[in-house]
Amino acid sequence: MAGNKQLRLVLVTPEKTLRDQPVVDLRFPLYDGQMGVLPGRAPLVGRLGCGELRFTEVTGAHHSYYIDGGFVQIKGETATILTNRAIPVESLSRQQAEEQLRQALSRPAHNDLEIDARERDEQRARQMLALARKSHTSA
Amino acid sequence: MAKARAIVKRLKAVKNIRKITRTMELIATARFKKAMDRATEAAAYTKKIAELVADLSQVAVQGFTHPLLQAHPTNQNAILLVLTSNRGLCGGFNSGVLRLVQRRIIEARDSGQNLQLEVSGKRGLNFMRFQQRTVSQSYTKFEDKPLFEEVEELANRYANLYVTGKLDRLDVAYVRFQSISRQAAVVETLLPVGQLNAATREQTSAQSATANAAAATAAGSTGPTVDYEFLPSAREILEEIVPASFKARLFKCFLDSAVSEQIARMVAMKGATENAGSMIGDLSRTYNRARQSQITSELSEIIGGAAALE
Repeated sequence: MAGNKQLRLVLVTPEKTLRDQPVVDLRFPLYDGQMGVLPGRAPLVGRLGCGELRFTEVTGAHHSYYIDGGFVQIKGETATILTNRAIPVESLSRQQAEEQLRQALSRPAHNDLEIDARERDEQRARQMLALARKSHTSA
Repeated sequence: MAKARAIVKRLKAVKNIRKITRTMELIATARFKKAMDRATEAAAYTKKIAELVADLSQVAVQGFTHPLLQAHPTNQNAILLVLTSNRGLCGGFNSGVLRLVQRRIIEARDSGQNLQLEVSGKRGLNFMRFQQRTVSQSYTKFEDKPLFEEVEELANRYANLYVTGKLDRLDVAYVRFQSISRQAAVVETLLPVGQLNAATREQTSAQSATANAAAATAAGSTGPTVDYEFLPSAREILEEIVPASFKARLFKCFLDSAVSEQIARMVAMKGATENAGSMIGDLSRTYNRARQSQITSELSEIIGGAAALE
C-alpha cells in the first residue's frame, strides 16, 4: 500500500525555496533526535534541531544539507521544511565550523540565558563540524 | 554666433545626461526584476509560517502568551529603524520615509519617549547628520540584496532587548511595496508583535494577489480535517514560531524597501530621460532659430553693404 504513495520535499528558507521535488525517503533532526519519513506518513508538525537533512531522490541520488532549526510540516504527501539556513554539505567549510565552535566555547556566560545560548551555539557548531568532516572524508 | 555656440554646448550636455539617465533606468529595471524575484521567493516562507500559525491556532491554544507578543506597560524605550537607500537619484523614495520619521521623532519628543534612531542607508544617515540627530546604530551594508543572516542578527538583538525589558517598542520606517505601481512609505510597529494571527494575515495580504489566493486556499484546505501530530507540542511550537515570524516580518521590510527603491529609481530615471528628450527638442529648435536669425542678419548686412556701394 505504501508502494503507490508519494513523498514530496519542499525545503524553504526565508530567502528562497531551495528544493521542491519528489523524494523516496527523508531524514532530518528534530529538537530531540533524528526522524525518518517515508511516503504515507501521518500529518505532523514538529520543531527542528540543527544537523543533517538527508534525502534520496527518485533517481537514487543522495543529498544532504546542513539545516539550522525551524519547523517541519507534513501534510498529505508534502513534507515542508522551514529552516533559517540550509547549506549543502559539500559547501560546508571545516575551518569556519571550527572557528564557530572555538568562539562558542570561549564566550563567557554568566546567567542561565547566556549559558543556554552558548550551549545552543556549541551544539550547532559541533553538528556543522561533524558534517563537514564527514563530507570531506567521503569526498 | 556666440548665442548659437552656447546653445550647442548645452544641447551636448543634455544629450549626455539623457544617455546616463537612460542607462540608469535600464540598470534599475534589471535590478528591480532581481529584487522582485527575491521578494517573491521569500514570500513562500512567510506564507508557510502563516499556514502553520493557522493550523496551530485551531488546536485551541487558549491563553497562549509569549514575551514578544505582550505589550509592555510603558512605551518609554523605543527604537525606530529607518530603511533608506545608499544611493540617491531615486525620486521621492528617501524623502517619503524621512518625512514620516521626522513626524515620529517629534511625536516621541512631545510624549517624552526615549527614542533611539537606527538608520540603514547613506541617504538617511546624511539626512540625520544634517538635522544633527544622534543615530545609535548605522548600517550601510544593506543594498538591493539584503541577506537573511544579516537581518536575523538585527532581529535577534531586538528580540533580546525586548524580552529583557530594555526595549518597549520597535518601529520600522520603510517604503512598503504594494504593487508595481504603488509603494507607500509607512511606519510599522513590529514589536510587540501583537496578535500573531493578525500579523501573519496582514503579511499575506501585502503579498501579491496570487500568493494571497494560494494562501487562502491553503488555509481553507487545512480546515479542521488535518489531524496533526505535534512534536513536541502545539504550544512549544508556537513559542518557536513567534520569533521566526518576527524575523520573517523584519526581513520582509528589508526586501520591500529594496524592491521599492529600484522601482522609485526606475520611475525617476524614466521621467528624467523623457524630460531630457523634450529639452533636447526645445534646445534644437532655439538653436535653429538662432542660427537662422544669424544668417538673416548677415544676409541683410551684405545686402545693405552692397546697396551702400551703389
